[in-house]
Amino acid sequence: MFIFEQLIIFFQQIFILMTNPINVLILFGAVLLGIIFGAMPGLTATLGVALLTTLTYGMDTGTSMVALLAIYVGAIYGGSYASILINIPGTAAAAATALDGYPLACQGKAGKALGLTTTASAIGTFIGMLFVITMAPIISAFALNFTSFEFFLLAFFGIIISGTLTSHDLAYKGWIAGFLGLFMACVGRDQLQFYPRFTFGLNELDGGLEVVPVLIGAFGIPQIIQVLKDKVISGEAKRFQRILPEFDEIWHHLSDIFRSALIGVGIGAIPGIGEDIAGWVSYGAAKNSSKHPERFGKGEVSAVISAETANNACIGGAMIPLLSLGVPGSPPAAMLLGALMLHGIQPGPMLTFDHPLFIFQVAAILLLASFAMWITGMLLAKQVIKVLRIPPPIFMPIIAVLCVIGSYSLGLRIFNLYLMVPIGILAYFLTEMEYPIAPLVIGVILGPMADANLRRALMVSKGSFLPIFTRPVSLILILVILLMVFSQITWFKTFIKRMINKFFSKKKLNKVHPNSIKK
Amino acid sequence: MKKKELRRADFITSVLLLLFSVWMIIETLKMPMKDTFGGVQNVWYVSPALFPLIISIFIIILGTALLIHSINSGGAKYFLDNFSVRYRGISEKNKRFISILLALLTFVYLNVPRIDFFITIILFLTFFISVFYFDDENLLKKLTLFYFTGSIIFTILFTSGISKILNSYYKYFIDILALFFYISYIIYNWIKVKNNHIYKKRLTISFVVALTVPLILCPIFRYFLLVPLPKEGLIIQMMHNIYYFLK
Repeated sequence: MFIFEQLIIFFQQIFILMTNPINVLILFGAVLLGIIFGAMPGLTATLGVALLTTLTYGMDTGTSMVALLAIYVGAIYGGSYASILINIPGTAAAAATALDGYPLACQGKAGKALGLTTTASAIGTFIGMLFVITMAPIISAFALNFTSFEFFLLAFFGIIISGTLTSHDLAYKGWIAGFLGLFMACVGRDQLQFYPRFTFGLNELDGGLEVVPVLIGAFGIPQIIQVLKDKVISGEAKRFQRILPEFDEIWHHLSDIFRSALIGVGIGAIPGIGEDIAGWVSYGAAKNSSKHPERFGKGEVSAVISAETANNACIGGAMIPLLSLGVPGSPPAAMLLGALMLHGIQPGPMLTFDHPLFIFQVAAILLLASFAMWITGMLLAKQVIKVLRIPPPIFMPIIAVLCVIGSYSLGLRIFNLYLMVPIGILAYFLTEMEYPIAPLVIGVILGPMADANLRRALMVSKGSFLPIFTRPVSLILILVILLMVFSQITWFKTFIKRMINKFFSKKKLNKVHPNSIKK
Repeated sequence: MKKKELRRADFITSVLLLLFSVWMIIETLKMPMKDTFGGVQNVWYVSPALFPLIISIFIIILGTALLIHSINSGGAKYFLDNFSVRYRGISEKNKRFISILLALLTFVYLNVPRIDFFITIILFLTFFISVFYFDDENLLKKLTLFYFTGSIIFTILFTSGISKILNSYYKYFIDILALFFYISYIIYNWIKVKNNHIYKKRLTISFVVALTVPLILCPIFRYFLLVPLPKEGLIIQMMHNIYYFLK
């Protein structure tokens, strides 16, 4: 009965969204814009969501969510265009797709490859949506038992895990980025006593750093600098006749699709880990489970399907911690969190009470976005790839203007721009030195939560840290954090290796001994 | 970045991080810890200093770990060995980087708050697109120098207060000067590329794009999203007149 009621609410939301022609128009427009953003090398899904956030500020929450989720879904899918047609991933999420998508295009199967990615992406988004609707309320209900200590540790957990998994060099570079983000969150008057911290006497800093301009700076400016400095060029796109849905081929790869969708959702649900990692992990899993791993890299269909299903399923996965805990699962989800805050919605355990229909609304939008993406992909692919011919020196400066006007228009403060540029330049240097940006952004977003909850928790416990070790969830969180930290220390790794070796060698001995005795 | 250079960068970053965290601790210790603030008697665990202090301690630990790693992996040695290496000119990549920074910094800190937003955008876009679209190192250098000179003149005008005196004679004097700078930049571009057919075409594209973008963006933000633009001067005022006349 409960499930039946939930289904009715879900379909009601779809009906409400579909009966508003403006929503439908925005849905298709944003998906198309997302595909264009995803397809153009140098532009990312996060940047797309960031720039659209500034345009949707004046809209009602439902309509703005339609626009933002649609551009997110479209951009993750759109990355496959450039991967398949010019062998340059449009977004990092589609990097794994290029390995087999481009060889397929070289074999004259570009239309087939795009058909496969379109359908696989739509299915991936759909499966991700199923997880949002089933898992988010459960986790929200569970998180209602969280106390201040848990929320404080959750912020640290988010930084540590995203720092560990997104760092290409040393894991602690990710943690440093996270702590720098936490420092940025400290700027301004503190929430409990309104004491000005690190404001340098500037009144403009009293309210703290505004999240959206910081995010636009952190994601937009480094992208502009990198593309123009490193002369990123668009290549000549491979020609294709028409895109086919390829249902037969999809049917034959159902197991790949389900495995990849699960990987995508799982990785998406980990704070700060984006669609790119989902794509690579899924690609690796497909290769490991394939009967013909030698075909990978030479135009293997299952590779393309796996990577594309996973990166789109990751969207749903990223929405789960965002909606239930207020912790973004991926960089574009961090941007969505910023947008939600602008609209006065605070995601987290209380979301189901403050806005009981919101999770259903998000799920309904994801479902509609996956349909819109499939239809747009099938009908407009030939037109969309024309944007690949636009050279980056033309579109990147326009993006810079959009970043500036977008940051300014939120709050109508020129001071936002004064912050956006140095943060962008700092983010650029950090990226160059292989510091991931996702933990920094998570730090900025979760900093106020961590700060206020730590002090609130200590107030309740009268300054005692003991509840961290007596409460099961906080104990688990602290153990996971410690494990992740210690796993980066060489002597600890050696110790664990030695222990494993000892354990297994003992087992071997045990196995060998009885046989030898019998003999 | 190559591994060696990365480790050198790690060494520099770790030192900067340690200095930063020391500064953070000094600043944090100035915050009320146990004393009264705003009539409230503090206890250490409610102090606004608690969280920044924790962060700074973590940054010290992580900075130290990075420092040790950079020393062990040869980053510090590479830094010290190359410390006295003489200046060897600026690479093309760095020239491009300087041009990007010049465009962004002048756009945000110099022009946006003081010059009509429409003119600011066309000036920024014309420079930013043309300088990279030509894809010519020599032109990049010359155009950047020209733009830099113009920006210096504007900086002097703004910081010395001359701009205010000029604007007191005519409200949009500085906007007209900015337009003059824009036109002179286009003419300078034209002189430099007039013998090259491809470059001429690229200049035309830069010019058209730079004009089209604000023509679309400004009305959308001003009349559709109802966002007052940062500086509404000569052109935006003209746009208002046309808009309200048509309305």
